[in-house]
Amino acid sequence: MPEDSGQKENNRDKGFVRRFLELPPDSVPKTVFVAVALCLVASMIVSATAVSLRPIQEVNKLRDKQINILQVAGRYDPSENVTEAFSVFEPHVLELDTGEFTDAFDPTTFDDRAAAEDPATSVALQDDPASIGRKSKYVTVYLLRNEDGSLDKVILPIHGYGLWSTLYGFIALEEDGNDIYGLQFYSHAETPGLGAEVDNPRWKALWRGKKLADDSGDLLITVAKTAPPQGEDYHVDALAGATLTSRGVDNLVRFWMGEEGYAPFLENLKAGEI
Amino acid sequence: MGLRNFFDRIEPHFAKGGKYEKLFPVYEMVESFLYTPRTVTTAAPHARSYIDMKRIMTYVVIATIPCILVGLYNVGFQVNSAIAVHGASGWRAWLIEALGIGFDPANPFANFMHGLLYFLPIYITTLVVGGIWEVIFATVRGHEVNEGFLVTSMLYALILPASAPLWQVALGISFGVVIGKEVFGGTGKNFLNPALTGRAFLYFAYPAQMSGDTIWTPVDGFSGATALSVSASDGYAQLAADGMSWMDAFIGTIQGSIGETSTLACLIGLAFLLFTKIANWRLVVGCLAGMIGFSTLLNVIGSDTNPMFAMPWYWHLVVGGYAFGLVFMVTEPVSASHTNLGRYFYGALIGFMVVMIRVINPAFPEGMMLAILFGNVFAPLIDYFVVQANIKRRAKRNA
Amino acid sequence: MAQTKRELLVDPLVDNNPITLQVLGICSALAVTSSLKVAFVMALAVTLVTAFSSMFISILRNQIPGAIRIIVQMVIIASLVIIVDQILKAYAYEISKTLSVFVGLIITNCIVMGRAEAFAMKNPPIASFIDGIGNGLGYGLILMMVGVIRELFGSGSLFGITILPTVNNGGWYVPNGLLLLPPSAFFVIGLLIWAFRTWKPEQVEEREYKIQTVEAH
Repeated sequence: MPEDSGQKENNRDKGFVRRFLELPPDSVPKTVFVAVALCLVASMIVSATAVSLRPIQEVNKLRDKQINILQVAGRYDPSENVTEAFSVFEPHVLELDTGEFTDAFDPTTFDDRAAAEDPATSVALQDDPASIGRKSKYVTVYLLRNEDGSLDKVILPIHGYGLWSTLYGFIALEEDGNDIYGLQFYSHAETPGLGAEVDNPRWKALWRGKKLADDSGDLLITVAKTAPPQGEDYHVDALAGATLTSRGVDNLVRFWMGEEGYAPFLENLKAGEI
Repeated sequence: MGLRNFFDRIEPHFAKGGKYEKLFPVYEMVESFLYTPRTVTTAAPHARSYIDMKRIMTYVVIATIPCILVGLYNVGFQVNSAIAVHGASGWRAWLIEALGIGFDPANPFANFMHGLLYFLPIYITTLVVGGIWEVIFATVRGHEVNEGFLVTSMLYALILPASAPLWQVALGISFGVVIGKEVFGGTGKNFLNPALTGRAFLYFAYPAQMSGDTIWTPVDGFSGATALSVSASDGYAQLAADGMSWMDAFIGTIQGSIGETSTLACLIGLAFLLFTKIANWRLVVGCLAGMIGFSTLLNVIGSDTNPMFAMPWYWHLVVGGYAFGLVFMVTEPVSASHTNLGRYFYGALIGFMVVMIRVINPAFPEGMMLAILFGNVFAPLIDYFVVQANIKRRAKRNA
Repeated sequence: MAQTKRELLVDPLVDNNPITLQVLGICSALAVTSSLKVAFVMALAVTLVTAFSSMFISILRNQIPGAIRIIVQMVIIASLVIIVDQILKAYAYEISKTLSVFVGLIITNCIVMGRAEAFAMKNPPIASFIDGIGNGLGYGLILMMVGVIRELFGSGSLFGITILPTVNNGGWYVPNGLLLLPPSAFFVIGLLIWAFRTWKPEQVEEREYKIQTVEAH
């Protein structure tokens, strides 16, 4: 762009922005001006969008989690309002070690994943079959009651490592704390067609009616190719061709249902203390 | 020589300007399959050699004969053994019954025939479908159908499990021939091994039919893991507990793809290929050194959680597809490195990768197929570095 | 540029397709094409980002200093991408869960940068906008073609609606697992390029070397 002295003199009469706009594009002040102005405008637009859309996004996230809980409890009906359907579930924050509910946290806002990373609310695992590294001392569980107020189902969050990724999901148990109603993973990155078949409704249906432990309280539930000697009640068929994902699911279910996981809570449940 | 006369009589129809000019590749294929090719170079330099493409390919097919024989016997042996427990069903059982051969696993002939009934449909499907692709490409491009396909089809059929559904066999060889070879210009220009490309396609496309415990012996209800998947989950010591000795694995009476279970048969083939100088010994040495070196290193390092670390090299040699791959795939001249120095590195890279995949990768118990394809991809790069190093050295010497 | 607006819109579909001719934007084409729904949303997102970034950059083209022009383009593109991502999260949450990572990567999609640098810096805003739409559509066209093949044969469905009932769900079709893995898109795109160049031989690049035939003496 040509630059002549006549223009320079005119600049004094013009506005601040105008003066910059008429500078040659490659001059230093112009470069700085464009950079600063662009960053200001861009950041304002971006943050305005982010802030104005945040409430809708939060609702989506919550809704997604609620749908998963509804699905695992067999209460999901796409035509129904999710928030309304979910209102029958009672969220509680559970202290894993004691197996009792705690009022130290608000269950509607408690963030399980953040708690699992926070050293104050989690412990590093020595024996770690589910390969999760740290375990939160507190988790959010959901109770579902019958109309007369008696307990119908409990929904417990579980997670653990498969072949490529950590699988996050829920397990729904009947009120006796031993019969499985359903199992569902809502987040994983297993091989499509093999490990990702954990999402297959036919495989998920296999879990219904299985039992965690026998009458003497030994944890027997297993995901394997062949049934354990105690019989089919404690056996879910492994996924065809996905040995390692199946083993991961086996490990994580047994871990969470065991002493390190929900066993104290399930004891209390069986004793009728919940 | 009535046949010769017949060929000579009809040749003008297929020659340039003839009625069936477009079908010349087909004519040429049949003719050169039956007779020595008569084409000679027309311009200098004229290198004379007793060996031509047809002879190389024929020799490789001959070298696979021990593998075929042991493979057919073993498929039949495994099936008949399983039938003794689970009962027989299907058209093969019916046919064997009708022929009065029986299902006695102690009878080698019965085993062999039963194996043949599994192998033949797979092999014929491979030949027909792959052959159609070869002829289509040859016709469109106006070159001859190459004998290389005879080798590809045989190797491909031998590295499939006996239970492979035929439509998958057809898809796999189509992928192998078209993507593995023809898109790059045909035989001699393929940088991937077409048989392995087809096998890899099936492995990733239909894992349920190409891996697992129920596919190696096609009898309903039977489940038998390969030596590698047993070792991967419980350690190779478990093999002995399951009743499999090193000798069983060496001779090849174990679960696995049709032709690759017998290390002994592969080694006989290797001896033949080395003697006839079809296979380059540098590739074999490199691949053995890479495998032995890295597996021994892993033995020394050891691991509490991964039982595969402890597997010694002589077990790596006899289980899975290592021996078959070493003899028939690593030595394939087109997809291997072309420089002598490069051949050592190429072989060693495959030997290293196969142990790496078998031991350290959690998803795939078998690594030979992937290791060789990996090596194929790196072969041109290895050659490049070897050639560059040569150029530098010479430049220095003459500077 | 002596191109009409119609040419700007239609050329990138086949004759100058960003994927099959220029071989740009392959990374996201591999990642998002295993399901049509996701591929469609991605195509839409890229089209919008390309169109608007081209337009804004074109408006500013006489003011952008040469020394920082790439960064300026990046800032504009990145802002648009973040906005698209936020909107998806708010109004198409299910899709955004699988797509979020790749939407972020639109920033590095060579098509967007390529159009900004090659076209928008030299052309007026409306032409740039149309050029952006055209290239986005060209990208989307290939994405949809790859998506149809991968979803139909990989999961037996189109847009999530079952076409070929799969064995796992009691049907007859054995899905091809390879097509669900990202590398399969390489093969599909390769075959598409082959088909395009057979159809339009003028797209075939000239050989770098030529095999010479020597006559016999």
